[in-house]
Amino acid sequence: MPDNGSENSVKKNGRSREELVRELEKRALEIRKNLLTLCSQQVIHIGGDLSVADVMTVLWQYQIRYDTKNPKDESRDRFILSKGHAAAVTSFNQAAIGCYDNADIFREYAQDNGRFAMHSCNLINPHVEVSTGSLGHGLPVAAGIAQALKLKKNETSRVYVVTGDGEHGEGSLWEAIMNAAHYKLGNLVCIVDCNGLGFDGTLKDITGLGDIADKYRIFGWNVTEVDGHEIDELIDAFDHLPPTSFDKPTALICHTVKGHGVDFMENQVKWHAGRLSEENRDEAIRQLEDAFNRKWGGQ
Amino acid sequence: MGATQSFGDMVAVRDVAGKYISKLGEKNDKVVVVNADLSGTSRNKGFVEEFPDRSFNVGIAEQDLVSFSAGLAHEGFMPYAFTMAPFISMRACEQCRTDVAYGHLNVRLIGNYAGYSSGVSGATHCALEDCAIMGSMAGMTVLEPGDPYQICKMLEATLTWDGPVYIRSGIEALKPIYPEDYDYRIGKAIIAREGKDGAFICSGIVVQFALEAAERLYAETGADIRVIDMHTIKPIDREAVIAAARTGRVIAAQDHNIIGGLGYYAAAVIAESGIPTKFRILGCPDHFVPIATAPYLFHKNEYDTDGLVKNMEAMLENRGE
Repeated sequence: MPDNGSENSVKKNGRSREELVRELEKRALEIRKNLLTLCSQQVIHIGGDLSVADVMTVLWQYQIRYDTKNPKDESRDRFILSKGHAAAVTSFNQAAIGCYDNADIFREYAQDNGRFAMHSCNLINPHVEVSTGSLGHGLPVAAGIAQALKLKKNETSRVYVVTGDGEHGEGSLWEAIMNAAHYKLGNLVCIVDCNGLGFDGTLKDITGLGDIADKYRIFGWNVTEVDGHEIDELIDAFDHLPPTSFDKPTALICHTVKGHGVDFMENQVKWHAGRLSEENRDEAIRQLEDAFNRKWGGQ
Repeated sequence: MGATQSFGDMVAVRDVAGKYISKLGEKNDKVVVVNADLSGTSRNKGFVEEFPDRSFNVGIAEQDLVSFSAGLAHEGFMPYAFTMAPFISMRACEQCRTDVAYGHLNVRLIGNYAGYSSGVSGATHCALEDCAIMGSMAGMTVLEPGDPYQICKMLEATLTWDGPVYIRSGIEALKPIYPEDYDYRIGKAIIAREGKDGAFICSGIVVQFALEAAERLYAETGADIRVIDMHTIKPIDREAVIAAARTGRVIAAQDHNIIGGLGYYAAAVIAESGIPTKFRILGCPDHFVPIATAPYLFHKNEYDTDGLVKNMEAMLENRGE
């Protein structure tokens, strides 16, 4: 298996850094367009999908070791979506590297016996490692997986988990945060999508988390903080992960904006989940394309 | 099992289980043990010493106990997660259901202090709901040994059983009741005593009371009462329940809330079978009780030997009409 998995992944080979960033930003744009299109057909958790879209694009289309034709390959990286409601952004990224076609997602999302829905279900989808949805479960299960890999002497694979900042209200997450540090799970990477919003408002107005990076540090984790919408910073963070044999798990704290890239959705609690009119969808896609073209001078 | 023990001695299930888990560890290198600060209570320190690399202790964190075990199972290990029955079935209920059962994972959830075992510690440490809770999770198998060495057969069976298993047990010393080796299968009840005039369907310590009750009933009334060791609460042995119903007198008794316990599982089978029979469920009442010892509570709620005799005698009245 190539180091970063699928033949459809974005490789460095000979690309300048600028070209690499541009290609991944272009791919993140495609992910957002797919999300907005799906959101005009179905209710999806669009706010949290958009906040983690850049992180997921770099993780799935640049970083992860994953053979789409052999999803149970022992040397694969494991991916667990602890914030299970970001299933759509996961599915579209998996489609981008060849796990499915985008058309499969549009056709099957939330349909009878469909492989795709608001939350990740692995019963009939081999590209879902662990079924998730209820918050506070993914990271604890991932810690068990990371420990199992060490027991199997698999020093290649990493375990990537995507959590939300609001999800850190779940006590079960903190049980695993302590446990992962205790067992020195250096192969475990917990990505925290810090968009600052819950369903009832801003986290600081509900029950504030304070400085989440400091909390991870004091619990014994290796911590990296990035702007979760800066592809360049995300590439750096993934490029510089410590070896899997490191004596601390890594928390990648990503500061993000819920609904990122669409002015009428950004930081709007009402866009936690919802359905877009076709008019709003077209307006949102136009905004995203304009921003990309302004930065990169057209396609 | 132990150097100083011989067959016939009273011994608690957890003592036998704690030792036997080391044997499983020797037989199968996928067996791992996960504790939540109760390895002493669960009597598995022997495994921890023998297999330190395959032993984990998450601390007082039962949710993590179950989720961490699920993670190990995802990667092909067979985790035996030990703690007290109330904590694994209630504190970690959603983890058992969503992280283990939803994934149909081979996690073995081992809960001790089931029923009123810990009556002197109060309701926080009793598990009176666990068969109802765990049994309602799709694909979850629920077991309770009625003989202290039966746990070895059960644990052995879990090595090849597909899907999650919950094993509950009380902490009381039990008397060995099966002197010979025997074929044990999950889902296949054991007829601990044959009988045609009525039947006790029970699990755990109540099997022992039922055997004594059947002997006393035979001596006092001549009635021949069957004792069914329903070690598999779910999936229940339907054939054994239907055969019991054909005797016309069935008492289902378990150290568990009457609601949702073994009696309810048996009742559903009897009702669906359409066989007319007298039927009574004995167990813990549907209200919390003050601190009390387990034998006092067994007696008060009539599923000790005296209570089983009394209730079966009532069914036997007008026999022959």
